[in-house]
Amino acid sequence: MKILNNLKLRFSENTGINVARYILSLIATLLIGIILIVANNADIGVAVRELFKGAFGSKIAIGNTIHWAIPCMLVGIAASVAFKSGVFNLGLEGQLYFGALVAACVGYMIELPPIIHHFACIFAGGIAGLLYALIPALMKLYFKVDEVISTLLMNYIAVLATEYITLLLIRGNSATSTQSILTPFIHKSAELTPIIKGTSATTGLFIALGIILIVYLLYKYTLTGYEMKMVGQNLEFSKAGGVNANKMFVVIFLVSGFIAGICGAVEVLGVNHRFIAQFSSNLGWDGVMITRVAGNSPVGVLLVSFIWAAFKTGAMQMERATTLNRYTMNLLQALFVLFISIDYGMLYFKYKAKKAREAIGKEEK
Amino acid sequence: MSEKNPNLSEYVLETRDICKYYGSLKANDHISLKVKRNTIHAIVGENGAGKSTLMGILTDTVKPDYGDIILNGEKVVFKNPMDAARHGIGMIYQEFMLAPNFSVFENIIVGFEEKNGAFIDYKKSREKVERICHDYGFNLPLDDLINELPVAMLQQIEIVKVLYRGADLIIMDEPTSTLTPQGIEGLFQAMRVLKESGKTILFITHKLKEVFEVSDEISVLRLGKYVGTYSPDSLDQQKLANLMVGREVILQANKKPGELGETILSVKNLSVVDEDNIQRLKNVSFDIHAGEILGIAGVAGSGQQYLVKTIFGLNKAAEGSKIEYLGEDITNSSPRENRAKHIGYVPQDRMGMGCDTRSSIWENAIMGYHRAHGFNPKWLINHKEANAFTDKVVDDFAVKVQSINNNVGSLSGGNVQKLIVGREFSQDNKLLLIEDPTRGIDVGAIEYIWAKLLEFASQGVAVLLVSHELNEVMELSDRIMVMYNGELYNGGKYGELDESALGLLMTGGEAKQYEDFE
Ligand SMILES: Nc1ncnc2c1ncn2[C@@H]1O[C@H](COP(=O)(O)OP(=O)(O)OP(=O)(O)O)[C@@H](O)[C@H]1O
Ligand SMILES: [Mg+2]
Repeated sequence: MKILNNLKLRFSENTGINVARYILSLIATLLIGIILIVANNADIGVAVRELFKGAFGSKIAIGNTIHWAIPCMLVGIAASVAFKSGVFNLGLEGQLYFGALVAACVGYMIELPPIIHHFACIFAGGIAGLLYALIPALMKLYFKVDEVISTLLMNYIAVLATEYITLLLIRGNSATSTQSILTPFIHKSAELTPIIKGTSATTGLFIALGIILIVYLLYKYTLTGYEMKMVGQNLEFSKAGGVNANKMFVVIFLVSGFIAGICGAVEVLGVNHRFIAQFSSNLGWDGVMITRVAGNSPVGVLLVSFIWAAFKTGAMQMERATTLNRYTMNLLQALFVLFISIDYGMLYFKYKAKKAREAIGKEEK
Repeated sequence: MSEKNPNLSEYVLETRDICKYYGSLKANDHISLKVKRNTIHAIVGENGAGKSTLMGILTDTVKPDYGDIILNGEKVVFKNPMDAARHGIGMIYQEFMLAPNFSVFENIIVGFEEKNGAFIDYKKSREKVERICHDYGFNLPLDDLINELPVAMLQQIEIVKVLYRGADLIIMDEPTSTLTPQGIEGLFQAMRVLKESGKTILFITHKLKEVFEVSDEISVLRLGKYVGTYSPDSLDQQKLANLMVGREVILQANKKPGELGETILSVKNLSVVDEDNIQRLKNVSFDIHAGEILGIAGVAGSGQQYLVKTIFGLNKAAEGSKIEYLGEDITNSSPRENRAKHIGYVPQDRMGMGCDTRSSIWENAIMGYHRAHGFNPKWLINHKEANAFTDKVVDDFAVKVQSINNNVGSLSGGNVQKLIVGREFSQDNKLLLIEDPTRGIDVGAIEYIWAKLLEFASQGVAVLLVSHELNEVMELSDRIMVMYNGELYNGGKYGELDESALGLLMTGGEAKQYEDFE
């Protein structure tokens, strides 16, 4: 009960600034969007309406937004765990691929009762991501290979390796193009249940929310979380304080890989119901962007993921209904990242300082 | 303009009613200060008195809430720090601001290069730098890279840099705290030359001896307020200390050598070879007993840091070395293990190793404590207990904080040091490894930390005290050892050798003579 009480966000000055940060950025992005729309000779009213309609306009639309928000949240939180501690795991994409493949295999090869099957697939996917993350972690530890480079390169290996393994698995069936390099469908018992009928908004949402909550609690209430944060803040200080930095580095890497693997698994169980070679459209990079925008905070990742997803679904609807194309939205998304990077805290304190000056000035008179 | 005629205003700088508030905390509260042209003007005050804040305002790195700056008789409003530099105000920062992988010359001219059209005129820039070095008697290796140079040299580079930028008023915020005694002498020499050639220097220090040695005028700040400006002739150290703190301060430790107990730490034949294969420690051996303070004096860089770091487990000891703690072999055991055995550590590099400025005060306070003592259950942060421990440190060591949820970066330098010392002193440690515990701390706080150290020792704690302040080692230690070139020499018991004898040992002079001392 006490934990629940503490959970309530205290509305401090900093929280206020962060809320303002998102609202202001959103407004600014929309304003520029309007200019772009006008320049494209499209009707603003229609475009904005279609955008909102696409993202939130109907049950289906909301479902689609949630569908996109789920992987964004998972890969975003995977990235934030690593980045917050100064571990540059850019291999999320690769870890996610292995997670997806292994989850699909567990999904179609084994028969289990529903809930248990979900957990088996997701856990197996997580472990696959974790093991794939273990390689660069050990390379850094024992051979001093910079993880930025090793993880980046291992992404390519992962995409092609999973494709190759899939080919081996489905040997006998003919496969001609990449599109058809895919595993058989998973059993119904492994499929995640849609929470909104007719969409891919599944119970995966609760898994994503649960993991974000766990990460939040980890940082706030556990010593491991505290050490994970401090290692990222100041390594020398942490070492002198008795933190086992090498062990921490590996732990962080593995946790990040584990969550990325889960992300892949949830995509398989919730959306495609099978592993499709080269299925991810750079989700790993979305994760990196999301955590940057979110300032590596779990709550931030949650918010940003939904905004990210809304842009994605809204843009598709807008493209269908107007003369605008989807790249307009990509541009706006990039602008949103830019606006959010503005140091609103500094602006706010400058404003406060100005107020203080005026106040003292009056007092003097 | 007034520059042409120095008689126009006697004061090069005047501040009028400068205010800077951080929330309800008044860092600067209507400070009106006058600085005479062509003088060395010392600014003193307790930790958190507002000295750095005021200097920040003069260089426009901190924006004042209220008040005017009068420079050469005219009111000025700076647009940005560069603008302040253009007005002839130069600052030597405590933490040096030099780019490590660039040459000395490049570091000096950066941002203010002589131009030939759109291009940098290296020849002209070079001539200007060389002329400054020559005029003021600095001998700098202009083409060497920064990361190859010693601290004292870096400071000279900073000085040449502000001179190159045309500074008339040079601000030095605690410039002596990182220097060796020789380095300090060199700095004072340079300061006098600067004064002779018409510059004005604002000089912040916590060492009262230095104040009386170089300054022409002394201004005192207390709790954000201006107390007054005094001539050194009208004061002595005791009176000045009382003015700063607002009460009577005792400047001596008044140590009473006590009973020694069992052997706590025993170091035998400790050698350390660093990554570049340079031998840093050579067969160092000593014991520390319960209740004993063993002081290690020595010129900075003689190997003291390697000694402490190796005992604590942050550095590997060479083959054949042995470190025993309460009879148990702890050679090369990790800091985590050592902390769990009640060994505490105050590192010399307080910003790098002692704290994290971007984390909150409580997060900094529980570092080390969190594992060595742990919470209940072991793996959870008990916020209540963490806060209680932090409050205790903050209260016991008079750390000036607004809220323990604020970042350490918002504390003044001395208060950061008090927090670090307090953290290590508050964990019922049996052995304390301490480097420069009073660096950058005001006299009132030194008095307090010294008293605490002696109190701990009298309760049976063993202390290894490494200090670059010879006075501190002499005041506190039951036994003194001098480190020179990676070796330890006997420096006698409390009060046995005087300052000059120890000074001689520190520079390697007649070391042999004392080797069989005892
Ligand atoms: N950015 C900040 N936010 C909040 N408080 C601050 C900030 N900077 C300084 N302070 C507070 O203002 C007061 C004055 O700080 P300042 O750094 O000027 O002290 P100082 O005289 O230089 O002390 P020291 O001798 O310890 O360096 C301190 O109490 C400090 O905690
Ligand atoms: Mg200061």
